[in-house]
Amino acid sequence: MRGRSRRIVWAGLAVVVAVAVPQTAWWDLNHTVFAQAVVSGLLIGGVYSLVAMGLSLVFGVLDIINFAHGALMTITIYVSYLLFQNYGVDPYVSLVVTIPLMFVVGVGIQRFAINPVMDAPVHNQLLLTLGIAIIIENLALVLFTGTPRSIELAYARNEFDLGVVTLDFPLRVFGAVVSLPKLIAFLVALLLAGVLYLLIQRTQLGAAIRASAQEPEGAELVGIDVRRIYMITFGIGAACVGAAGSLVLPFLFVAPTAGATFTIIAFVVVVLGGMGSIPGALVGGLVIGLTQELTQLFVPGAKFLGVFIVFLAVLLFRPEGIFGKAGR
Amino acid sequence: MKRTTVLLSLLLSLVLVAAACSDDDAGTTTTAAAESPATTTAAEAPATTQAAPATTQAAPTEPPDPILIGAIHPLTGGLAGAGNRMDNGARMAVDEINAAGGIASLGGAPLELVSADSTGAADVGASEAERLIGDGVSALIGTYQSGVTLPVAAIAERDGVPLVIDVAVDDSILDQGYSDTFRMQPNATSMGANGAKFLSELGGDEIKTVAYLHDDTAFGVSVSQAFTVAPAALGIEVITDIPYAPFSVTDLTTEMAQAAAGSPDVIVVTGYYGDGLLAARAATDLEVDVKAIVGIAQGAFHTPQFVEDFGADSELFFNSNYHFNSSDPIVAGILERFEATFDDAMDTEAMLAYQAIYVIADALERAGSSDPADVQAALATTNIADHFLAYPGPITFDDTGENINAEPVLMQVVDGAVQQVLPAGLRETDPVFPGTPWGG
Repeated sequence: MRGRSRRIVWAGLAVVVAVAVPQTAWWDLNHTVFAQAVVSGLLIGGVYSLVAMGLSLVFGVLDIINFAHGALMTITIYVSYLLFQNYGVDPYVSLVVTIPLMFVVGVGIQRFAINPVMDAPVHNQLLLTLGIAIIIENLALVLFTGTPRSIELAYARNEFDLGVVTLDFPLRVFGAVVSLPKLIAFLVALLLAGVLYLLIQRTQLGAAIRASAQEPEGAELVGIDVRRIYMITFGIGAACVGAAGSLVLPFLFVAPTAGATFTIIAFVVVVLGGMGSIPGALVGGLVIGLTQELTQLFVPGAKFLGVFIVFLAVLLFRPEGIFGKAGR
Repeated sequence: MKRTTVLLSLLLSLVLVAAACSDDDAGTTTTAAAESPATTTAAEAPATTQAAPATTQAAPTEPPDPILIGAIHPLTGGLAGAGNRMDNGARMAVDEINAAGGIASLGGAPLELVSADSTGAADVGASEAERLIGDGVSALIGTYQSGVTLPVAAIAERDGVPLVIDVAVDDSILDQGYSDTFRMQPNATSMGANGAKFLSELGGDEIKTVAYLHDDTAFGVSVSQAFTVAPAALGIEVITDIPYAPFSVTDLTTEMAQAAAGSPDVIVVTGYYGDGLLAARAATDLEVDVKAIVGIAQGAFHTPQFVEDFGADSELFFNSNYHFNSSDPIVAGILERFEATFDDAMDTEAMLAYQAIYVIADALERAGSSDPADVQAALATTNIADHFLAYPGPITFDDTGENINAEPVLMQVVDGAVQQVLPAGLRETDPVFPGTPWGG
């Protein structure tokens, strides 16, 4: 009940903001800009959610702070980019390559790098993942140079006749523009969130993952191979960020540091949503996306200020996050 | 619970450190101090021999010792693309000068480039400058970023080693009364003032209001401030000013919508390559209702890569920036050699680094000495008319070290190629104004 009332307070706060903001002078002048901030915030928030989900899972189950998360994303952005440039593979089609590929990479990292330090002090684990990130980033730099590369989808600015309606991209919603690549990224992120949630909540594997997270020794006693579950979990986490990499390619650019940009934001989302909580990561991503764009509206240039204020507020007042269970 | 608290506090402190360093290196801090510049340079360097530290130069076979020149650029991190191209430009100049017989007045002594990685961070750039000076370099070039150049210039001045700035725009670098620092490129005031002048020449009375979208580092802030002061006399007013963090943003649609909200005649953009691409995409998605999108010292809109990456949507974007003299056949030859050697299109930043080496070689030749103080004295009397840049006169430095003739040119993507449109003397094609790819 207590968690529920907190949630109501949060929702109430959100409503107050949503109601109060249009009362300001800004709204009268620039409701198009306001609509744009909301739309942009939700769209990028969906991607934040997807990135954070993988991080949250690894954080929640393995208790590992994975600083290599963004670097894993960089790998997939490059894989999708190379598939597109060399073989003309659509970035969305390349998801069928990047998701399994990153799962395998994730399992490998857990098996060979992280499992040996599972019982080591936190800072050792942290430095290890940081080291993996540095290796990946610099490998990318050596292989592809630091020059940012980008692709443009031929159909990104196009009309789509769906029979019932014709969608003319970029779409206009209340005067705000919705670009096709961002909309696809958002929708696929939501879809994957749902799949992941069902996987964790409704399958036997999910039950084993949850058991390993809550009580590793107990899980071991009832016959769960916790080390194997850890590998699978890290693999799933990497697969999430693998999907995110392919999805952002059409509206971002590829550079060795492209994924790292998302790492810090993803940590904020994880803390906000609650460690290990998939719905938390989803809601947290959207909230952070909105926060950053709305902050930009009122304090131009301070986009990330609002994000870190939210971060500090959560740590101070609700360190277990919106959807987290207190006392874990 | 206890473990979680420890994790959280660790994480929090890391995030805060990252946030605090948000000026020139946001998003790259995690890699900042941890990389060895030598290894990355080795990977980027051409097949020729890698510059080694000065301590290994005991080879007695060659009578004249090589003259060391230090080059500090961001070879890793978010600006590694431009940084490595600049390092390659400098390397190509060194190789060419050596192939042509080295420095004649010093008995044909060859040049040796010692590359260092600033990682895009001011503190790393400063410590690398100290290291290079300790290695015994006769001069330094660098550093691509104003925020990094400021401390590097201070160290160069303290140790009496000349620094030739290839790229770094902030006026304040040379406002300190330094005698050892020289700048090849136009400063922020020149960028801003000439950008405003070009706007007025381009649009006449049609450009009265401007919305300014710029990065929030020393670079974007200094150029936008210089611009904001300049156009008052020309009847141009900046009605909106929107800064953004260039290495953290993944989308500039809201920022672009904010810029367009006041219905300005023109949207002006200052920043680096990646964020420039995001700004261009946002403007195209929004089909902002303005007469033109004009970059001022923008890192993307005048590059061949922008045209290649952004395709037909890149058409009609303007950029007022430094530029190599694309009408000069010698420059065409340099571009070809660079492309052939490094399999990468040469940009003006790389040309400025290339040119900086030739300026130092010219000073060494006239000084007849590799002593930093003598090189400094010779640099102060530089007068190079046959240079490779689109400047209205020779490269020559005033008392503060500014290149007197450093001026930007206005370029526009016309018919799928970046072409010089202003000033009239350097015009390759007529500007298309009003002009945006989505009509208007």
